[in-house]
Amino acid sequence: MDVTPKYKGSFVKPLKALSHLFREPVTLPMVPRPASDVYRGFHVNDWEACVGCGTCRQICDNAAIRMVRIPGLPDEPAKGIKPRRPAIDYGRCCWCALCVDICPTGSLSLSREYIHVSPDVNTYFILPDEKGMHGLNFPKGWAKSDDSDLLDLGRQEMPALEAEARGDNFGEIVHGYDEQAAILEASRCIQCGMCHEACPAHMHAPEYIRAIWDGDKERAVREIYRTNPFPEVCGRVCTHRCETACSIGRRGAPIAIRWLKRYAMAVVDDARVRDIALEGMAEARTGRSVGIVGAGPAGLTAAFDLAKLGHDVTVYEAKPEPGGMMRYGIPEYRLPYDRLDADIAVIRAAGADIRCDSPIGPDLPMAGLRETHDAVMLASGLGLGRSTRVPGTDHSEVRSAVDLLDSITRGESIRVPRAAVVIGGGNVAFDIARSLARLQKRTHGRVDMTLVALEERDHMLADEDEVVEAQEEGVVVINGRGPKEVVKGGTFGRGLRGLETVRCLSIFDGEGRFHPRYDEDDVILHEADMVIEAIGQASDTGYLGEELTEALEWQRGRIKIDPDGATSVSGLWAAGDMVEGPDVIHAVAAGHRVAASIHRFLGGGTTTAEAAE
Amino acid sequence: MTSQHGEGDPAAKERLARMKSLEEILNTAMAFEKTMQTFYEQLVGKVRKPLRELVAELAEEEKRHYELFEGVRDHPETEAHIRDRIAVPVNDHRFSDYVHMPALGDHPDDQAILQYAMGREQAAYEHYSDLAETAPEGPLKDLFRFLSDEELRHKGDLEKRYYEIIHSGGV
Amino acid sequence: MRPENYNPVQHPPSHEYELYFGPNHPGIEGNYAIRVRLNGDLIQEAITDGGYLHRGFEKLMEQRLWIQNIALVPRICVPDPVPMEEAYARAVEALGGLEVPERAQWIRAMMLEMSRICAHLFTFGGNAATIGLYTNMFWGITMRDLFLDIFEEITGARIYHMYITPGGVRRDLPAGALDRLETVIEELERRTPEFEDLFFDSAVVIKRARGVGVISLENALAWGVTGPNLRASGMPSDVRRDDPYLVYPDIEFDVPTEIEGDALARLRVRQAEVTQSVRILRQVIERLRMIEGPVRCPLPNPLAWNIPAGEAYTRVESSKGEVGFFAVSDGGPKPYRVHVRGPSQMHAVQVLERVLKGSRLEDIAQIMFSLDACPPEVDR
Repeated sequence: MDVTPKYKGSFVKPLKALSHLFREPVTLPMVPRPASDVYRGFHVNDWEACVGCGTCRQICDNAAIRMVRIPGLPDEPAKGIKPRRPAIDYGRCCWCALCVDICPTGSLSLSREYIHVSPDVNTYFILPDEKGMHGLNFPKGWAKSDDSDLLDLGRQEMPALEAEARGDNFGEIVHGYDEQAAILEASRCIQCGMCHEACPAHMHAPEYIRAIWDGDKERAVREIYRTNPFPEVCGRVCTHRCETACSIGRRGAPIAIRWLKRYAMAVVDDARVRDIALEGMAEARTGRSVGIVGAGPAGLTAAFDLAKLGHDVTVYEAKPEPGGMMRYGIPEYRLPYDRLDADIAVIRAAGADIRCDSPIGPDLPMAGLRETHDAVMLASGLGLGRSTRVPGTDHSEVRSAVDLLDSITRGESIRVPRAAVVIGGGNVAFDIARSLARLQKRTHGRVDMTLVALEERDHMLADEDEVVEAQEEGVVVINGRGPKEVVKGGTFGRGLRGLETVRCLSIFDGEGRFHPRYDEDDVILHEADMVIEAIGQASDTGYLGEELTEALEWQRGRIKIDPDGATSVSGLWAAGDMVEGPDVIHAVAAGHRVAASIHRFLGGGTTTAEAAE
Repeated sequence: MTSQHGEGDPAAKERLARMKSLEEILNTAMAFEKTMQTFYEQLVGKVRKPLRELVAELAEEEKRHYELFEGVRDHPETEAHIRDRIAVPVNDHRFSDYVHMPALGDHPDDQAILQYAMGREQAAYEHYSDLAETAPEGPLKDLFRFLSDEELRHKGDLEKRYYEIIHSGGV
Repeated sequence: MRPENYNPVQHPPSHEYELYFGPNHPGIEGNYAIRVRLNGDLIQEAITDGGYLHRGFEKLMEQRLWIQNIALVPRICVPDPVPMEEAYARAVEALGGLEVPERAQWIRAMMLEMSRICAHLFTFGGNAATIGLYTNMFWGITMRDLFLDIFEEITGARIYHMYITPGGVRRDLPAGALDRLETVIEELERRTPEFEDLFFDSAVVIKRARGVGVISLENALAWGVTGPNLRASGMPSDVRRDDPYLVYPDIEFDVPTEIEGDALARLRVRQAEVTQSVRILRQVIERLRMIEGPVRCPLPNPLAWNIPAGEAYTRVESSKGEVGFFAVSDGGPKPYRVHVRGPSQMHAVQVLERVLKGSRLEDIAQIMFSLDACPPEVDR
């Protein structure tokens, strides 16, 4: 073969490599070489920050992560903390670090440690903590950074009425998500289930969020109705413990679980919702009857469950319409009455007989109720407004928020004050302040509404949205002041000058107990022709009668109940605000518990709601 | 303790008038606790059942306090100081007011009872902490400190309860 | 066979015998065997025997979320993993309509070229080792390790970087990484003459490689040869040039070719490609110093990420030839099907079997290496 000289090659040139004999070798020393700054070595996990959500387990492409229950770790479902931590199987791990990139808390990282040698196979299965695999405190390698984060921490904005558009009317403020926003919001969910644990009713939020994301709205409604017959209500005014516990909320905005529920209910029409809700109705009636006092969320939830189980349910409601505080407490701009009616219509369709204008009393004594029904449930709520009882609160223009809200719902004509002061910093205080502000705007053309709260701005009991929106509507929120005296006489000619408040230095003592301290020298007079107290509510249990009151056992002023909601008197249950304090979703949860307990009492088996839990 | 000034000094005389012996102070305190205990015990029978537990607990607490004072009075170390005279705070009258049977009406509700009880504990707390201020360093000062802490703790418990019940969890 | 079982009718006398070649080494040539029928040392027939490293990549991908597969794909080809990541990511981007930010595109090009250099250095080393020149192997591996250090610094991992993700790359370059890459490139350029002295100009190498394993251009095209192997047969074909992706249209580089189509030509093409990759890297470094911005477009929650139904074929020029990913989505959170078109599949099975026929036993390893086939990629 003909070969060009260049391609013949040389026997001499390779010998030049011999010169390397006199050069420094490139061999590295035997000591482990320090790994790079983003090295993906063995895991480290900050146990303080880790909440045990298990998202790392979900993303792991090799099923190398298992969540291990650790005794003694904090177990706080309400805060979204589970007592479990990820354990890694290094027989499976491929060090892709997707677990790090998706970790909602940022607790999980890969370290710069990479050597582990052991003949014992068990040592390759570890429970990483902040010290690392061998407790050697290697520095972090691949850790959470802004550019590597895989989670979307921002929430889809809820379209709502601007302050000018809502200031003088009771139209619902939020418009609800459209389909695109709902799917985008639902797509943020990592399905960790913290919300399910935190919800008093243990709603299947991960499931319905996933259903919304899948575009299967009816499945979402079905998942919602498994545990909550008040989805229209809870989709609007729920205290959303789920969102407090949401793992995404650790570093970003939690999933808008409440708004997603509202969306699912809005896009499926009422008739279809009713059909879905009534799936699984008992085919035969049991012939047993249950009487329920109070058509609020607790009573109606129990009524729904029991009716679906085939019992005859009668609900006695003192007011002209059912719904309790959902109707007579929560203003219409937060919860339109027709949506509440939609929920209640489903409950009625299940067969619950709701009798309004039927107060328990002389005409309908408690004793008669207990004779008529096989079981009776008390769910009469907290209907009485508390007063601070500072001097001057006996004045006729010092009103209770609960009573005023009731009058507004009933459509009664109330005197709209030109200037008013609300005492209290909770949601009820904001409800009345914002309702009256609307009436002021409508009647007088201007808002003069002051809200005085003991708490500092950062520790308000009301939802943040309430505070912000109230301020937008012209309510002046004054924090850190306590009521001193209602001053009578004055310039308005109606016998009230206003409310004097003192500066509150601190509300709680070092141990977190309520112990307000005041600066008595810092006194302000807020001029007003009406003072409204919204500090708390009390239960009116007078209807029980002397005999039953004595027969019942009480605890801290409330009827004593066992975990099922049963009182010390056989055949009598109690639930809702009157025994648990005010909250819709708690009342719903209690309604389910009581219904299950009554069903067992009446000879039934385990309810589907229980089985679902 | 004796005055540094002469007998004729009116200011000194007034100060002397505001001195009480430990024995007197303890007796007043015990009378105070006893009265309260009796008061609550009688109230138990008057209120409706939902409030009975609350009042009974208050009575129990006062009884415990009374026994505490008994223990202090009979303690050997107290014997040594029983005649010591201590300056009594100016607002002593406020404390003493509570020694007499209070007016709470026959059918008070939970809020009234709790407000009353908290006022009482506050007065007792102030009383003992003022005494602790004026008492000389040593076992007496420690005793009043202890007593004031005890009243403050009790008041704290009541306030927490007030918050839970009246502010209904803060709605 | 026991002598007593010998039957002259059933077993006529023959000069042919069968040899089982491999598998012995987990790596380039390893976990891959060839059954050769020989007459003396002349190969009568060669039948490749893969499957020792079968990991079922394509089926596994159907079981995993779109994002999870980024941890799987680089493992398809051990010595040159980045093109797999790139091709997969681009397939997902095409299906999901993702836009890769400019900076990320340059970073990806950088990773691809670094990976190409690593793979070629690895091949030089391995090729030399098959003919007993171990010094060259050590040099190649050492040089490659300097690049692996840069990979580790940027991605946190030396071999399976799992760095390119749909929508960009997983994180930005650490400060100073480009400077250190430049240092490594300079070192490579400094060592290049030494490599040539030791290897490419070595009479031993040339004598062993010349005329060995010849693939004519006609055969190369008929057998589906791609990449450097095709260029060594005289066809200036390069995906980066023919079907440009990322920022390659903005980069100046040559496509080196040879015409002989033998093992030596294939080696020389690769040698020239290292030089071209260095040229590309210099341009990339310069651009990356100027371009700021995000390195990944916003991705949906990886746990709730449905890719619209459709199919996409993407291809990348790897050190071994054309890597193609054909991905099909049924609109779900996981691929419906991903087919990987790997160059080694062709080179190590169809091409190798044909080229070996008529070659000699002592050239098997040399031919296999000159084709630069990657057995793990054959066993998908």
